Amino acid sequence: MPSFFKKKPPKDKKTAKEQKKPAGSSPLSVVLDENLAVIKDKTGNSTDIIIRRLNHSPRFKTEAAIVYLKGLTDSQTIQEIVIESLMKSDPVETRPSSMQEMIEGYLPLGNMEPVKDWETLFQALMSGHTIIFADGYSEAMSTSTEGGERRSIEEPSTQRAIRGSREGFTESIETNISMVRRIIQNPNLWTETMTIGRVTKTKVTIMYVKGIARDDIIEELRSRLEKIDIDGVLESGYIEQYIEDQAITAFPTMYHSERPDVVAGNLLEGRFALFVNGSPFVLLAPVVFVQFFQSIEDYTERFYISTALRFLRVLIFFISLIGPATYIAATTFHQEMIPTQLLVAIAAQRESVPFPSFVEALIMEVTFEILREAGIRMPKAIGSAISIVGALVIGQAAVQAGVVSPAMVIIVAITAIASFATPSFGIAISVRLLRFLFMISAATFGFFGMILGFIILVVHLSGLRSFGVPYLSPLAPFVPADINDTFVRGPLWADRKRPAFMSGNNQTRQGEDTGRPQPDQSRGMVTKNEGDDQ
Amino acid sequence: MKRYMAVFLLLIMSLTFLSGCWSKKELNDLALVSAVGLDLDKQGRFVGTFQFINPGNVTGGFQGGGGGQGNAVSVYSSKGDNMDEVSRRMSTKVSRNLYYAHANLVVISDELAKKKGVLPILDAFDRDATFRNTATIVIAHHVKAADLVKTLTAIDKIPANKMIKLLRFSERVWGGTMNVMIMDVIRDLTDDGKQPVISGFNLKGSGETGKTTQSIMQTTPESAPQIGGLALFKGGKLTGWLYGSQARGVVWTLNKIKKTDINLSKKGKKEAIAFEVIRQNTKISAFKIDGETHLKVKVDTEGNIGETKVPVNLKDPMVIKQLEDGFEKVIEKEITSAITAAQKKKTDIFGFGDAVHRSQPKTWKRISDKWDDTYFAKAKVEVEADAFVRRTALRNNSFLSDVE
Repeated sequence: MPSFFKKKPPKDKKTAKEQKKPAGSSPLSVVLDENLAVIKDKTGNSTDIIIRRLNHSPRFKTEAAIVYLKGLTDSQTIQEIVIESLMKSDPVETRPSSMQEMIEGYLPLGNMEPVKDWETLFQALMSGHTIIFADGYSEAMSTSTEGGERRSIEEPSTQRAIRGSREGFTESIETNISMVRRIIQNPNLWTETMTIGRVTKTKVTIMYVKGIARDDIIEELRSRLEKIDIDGVLESGYIEQYIEDQAITAFPTMYHSERPDVVAGNLLEGRFALFVNGSPFVLLAPVVFVQFFQSIEDYTERFYISTALRFLRVLIFFISLIGPATYIAATTFHQEMIPTQLLVAIAAQRESVPFPSFVEALIMEVTFEILREAGIRMPKAIGSAISIVGALVIGQAAVQAGVVSPAMVIIVAITAIASFATPSFGIAISVRLLRFLFMISAATFGFFGMILGFIILVVHLSGLRSFGVPYLSPLAPFVPADINDTFVRGPLWADRKRPAFMSGNNQTRQGEDTGRPQPDQSRGMVTKNEGDDQ
Repeated sequence: MKRYMAVFLLLIMSLTFLSGCWSKKELNDLALVSAVGLDLDKQGRFVGTFQFINPGNVTGGFQGGGGGQGNAVSVYSSKGDNMDEVSRRMSTKVSRNLYYAHANLVVISDELAKKKGVLPILDAFDRDATFRNTATIVIAHHVKAADLVKTLTAIDKIPANKMIKLLRFSERVWGGTMNVMIMDVIRDLTDDGKQPVISGFNLKGSGETGKTTQSIMQTTPESAPQIGGLALFKGGKLTGWLYGSQARGVVWTLNKIKKTDINLSKKGKKEAIAFEVIRQNTKISAFKIDGETHLKVKVDTEGNIGETKVPVNLKDPMVIKQLEDGFEKVIEKEITSAITAAQKKKTDIFGFGDAVHRSQPKTWKRISDKWDDTYFAKAKVEVEADAFVRRTALRNNSFLSDVE
């Protein structure tokens, strides 16, 4: 056997915990100057670290200092509360034994903690806390003074909805969590925060509704998160890639949303949300395939409209997946399937095109992908130039030059629009990739090849799972009660159960009496004047 | 194990790329055949005339195609002893693969249909994977099939399309013709209780002028294909033709009439009252009376008054009843004359044999061989029509009543 088949030598495994705790967790010194020197030393004397010495504070019998990061802290709080109260408070008779005792009663701030080692101190400092030192104590006080410039809450730029909340998540994890808390006002909404990233120390918060979410899934999530030991987490996408069930797939097994109402809705169905500081995209899992065809608005509109829209989205999915592939297959293998008049029209256009259909389609699709990529990266001001170049040069000129046929341009355009109309970006980009595979299979075997492609696709999809939940559920495995909210969207009042795979044993979400709205028959119609019907 | 699977899958997947593009045919490499015409030459060989679509000239006004400059179709012929040879010899004249999936018309000359019949031809069409069984088959009457295929047509640019649409339209509103598909003919040929009948086409003007665009540049094209008559077959060979009301009688009996127009003479004026048939149902049946087989045609039809040339009191139900009786007689006469004509030719194109087969299977076994020649030709056929005037269109009594 060639060496290719040989087993890899087992990796030398370092325990994750060993790597996690860096060695520099030494205790603070008693001497103020020494402590300040350590701070200066460790931060490389960074200019945005402000060290304010309070030499004549009556409160402290000794010298004191406050340390904070400019920009991450609210300067007003520091000036008006921290510094003022420390400077103006009454002098003490005896020196208190600990920092906590000394400050607690005098500093009107909510979150206050004594810090004894450098590791915690730096973490607090870097996250916007103000650290109070005093000479003669081997501890410092960390007070919560986070602030600074942040993006305010805006309308989400992805997942827009006509009817529904206008709030979108921001980059601040606290704001994001509070937005969901405002929607679900229930003590059962539990959160757990951990820090991930050796260098960035990014806050990551798990949120779920205790009692609805399955404990085993949350436990699984925790263990997966604990395994992550990387330099930095810059976006929730980083986390997503480390905790996915299957890495080698074109399909997303986690959902991400910029909308608090979407997150709340998913929490209520038993999913968990994963907030990552610095990212307005909140991860949701476990997800199923059909979820990517759903939009928040489906639930606010009447069910038949929503069902029709969902069917449309399935159609959109298929158009963007096999649009060009169908054209290639039909024009190179199955000309008999095209009505004569249409075939003649296509043949007339193809007459002057020097390439086979497949090459023609490939050229146009790649061109379109280039245009799309350019459109995203371009500054907004030049964006319109791209559309002119795209529409005129590529569209019109290519057709006039006889390089591509107009039919092909139509196909590519429909495919592109369909791709943009896909409600979930995650599925849209997977489809973008798969489209090319389908084009290849259509060019080699025609419709037969496309069907082969579909079989492989379905097999692959049914093998996927998201945190253990089968990706194609509730269609396969089939859960009759959950069909109400798949490609069809039954009336809300008929949707009595939470998704079976997500919510474990606690599935009922509607009271027995809550059913189809049916006013009493005797109620009748209201008459114009109150006394008329007597 | 996983590794083996991965390698195995990789090998399988590479097959995709090794296969090349199996049976791929680019549109630019196809010659789209729209119609096939078949004649006999003097040596008794088949002459196939193929009508090819020039896509660029059909769509018209499209850049790169030279819109509408040339003819919508080009026609080439070749000879051979069988269909396959005819088709393959075409490669000496046509630079592309002949593609039959859109050939919807087969024209067979009456000479060929008489001398050799359709039996030696149809197998090739039936067997070929691309050729459609649903292609229309017609007989060229008093004209060579080649000339019909060569004739350019005006509004429908592809002549084959024009001829098929003509047949379908005429079948729908007039009823004297039928759109017969290859599979219908094959079914009738294999059915011992029914013989095929195929619509005929003739050519107005000469084949020579029809070939040029000059012909269709005029408001009245010099040459144009026209529907004419129904060809009766027996044993796969053409035995005779029926025209006009006799042809329509055949279509009535076959229950293929969709809409048509029945005229009644009244008050000395010929064809004074028109009856627009809007729906009908015709049943043929066979039954025994005193050991003798009787055949019966029963027509149920319904329609509107289409026209009155003489004043009639259409408000009166009795008048309507009289009219209905009159229409029934006309229909009965048409059908009877069609059946008599077929009996003369000794070919049961109506499927009475099938009716006998259904009602008296045992007798049928005995007589099926001699059905056409002996039994059908002498059989007594009872024809009964039931007409019903549903409405009188927008008017009841015509303004003509007031004119006098």
